[in-house]
Amino acid sequence: MDRRLVLMIALLGVFGASAGAKAADLAAGKAKATEVCQACHGIDGNSPTADFPKIGGQYPDYLAKALRDYKSGLRKNPIMAGLAQSLSAQDIDNLTAYYASQPATVSTIATHRP
Amino acid sequence: MTKRSAGTTKRREKSGGVPTIHDSSMTKILIITAVLSTALMSSWAAAQGAPVGDAAKGAQKNQMCTGCHGIEGWRTAFPEVYSVPRIGGQHEAYIVKALQQYKSGERSHYSMRAIAAPLSEQDMADLAAYYAQGGVKTAGK
Repeated sequence: MDRRLVLMIALLGVFGASAGAKAADLAAGKAKATEVCQACHGIDGNSPTADFPKIGGQYPDYLAKALRDYKSGLRKNPIMAGLAQSLSAQDIDNLTAYYASQPATVSTIATHRP
Repeated sequence: MTKRSAGTTKRREKSGGVPTIHDSSMTKILIITAVLSTALMSSWAAAQGAPVGDAAKGAQKNQMCTGCHGIEGWRTAFPEVYSVPRIGGQHEAYIVKALQQYKSGERSHYSMRAIAAPLSEQDMADLAAYYAQGGVKTAGK
């Protein structure tokens, strides 16, 4: 009985670690981006048309939040809903790390009044 | 069997093999339809005389933006913690759309809904022009 309990806790630990702490894989992110995102957002995240936001150099945690919200339906968009649905948590980590690593297309603008 | 009947059989096979619409092509059709309708809607909006943004006016209206979007690395506090997006250099039309969606409630973020609620279409256009053009850039990667 004790052994089973120990085993269960150990397994939980393993799954927990693999779910939470697995490092993002930039190469896998780029491969997924080529397959899923590139057509609208561009491979470097500098989307060519105003209908699709620029995402290159954006914060990865903001991009991940957007993808999770599209996936859950909290944020609604007919295109993104379908695409986000196909992404695993690991895909989201990889993709957002990849796009965040691209040359900045967006930047912070500090307070400025002429 | 005569040649004729053989031909008939062939034709039958062909008509029996009409390609069904697979899920993947259905998804493609849906995506294309969505993209086209978005494009049509934006050109319709332009034709309806959507306000033209004035970046200089936008610079006078951004007091509510800078507290979060003007600080590199700033994070939201509630209900979920994540980085406030960088919006300098973003597409103008996308910024307008985001503000409209926060105002209408289509996009849900407590602070952004409250901030977008009193904005007029002209305010949104001015702010979008200001941020899309890029003001004074800081560390942004």
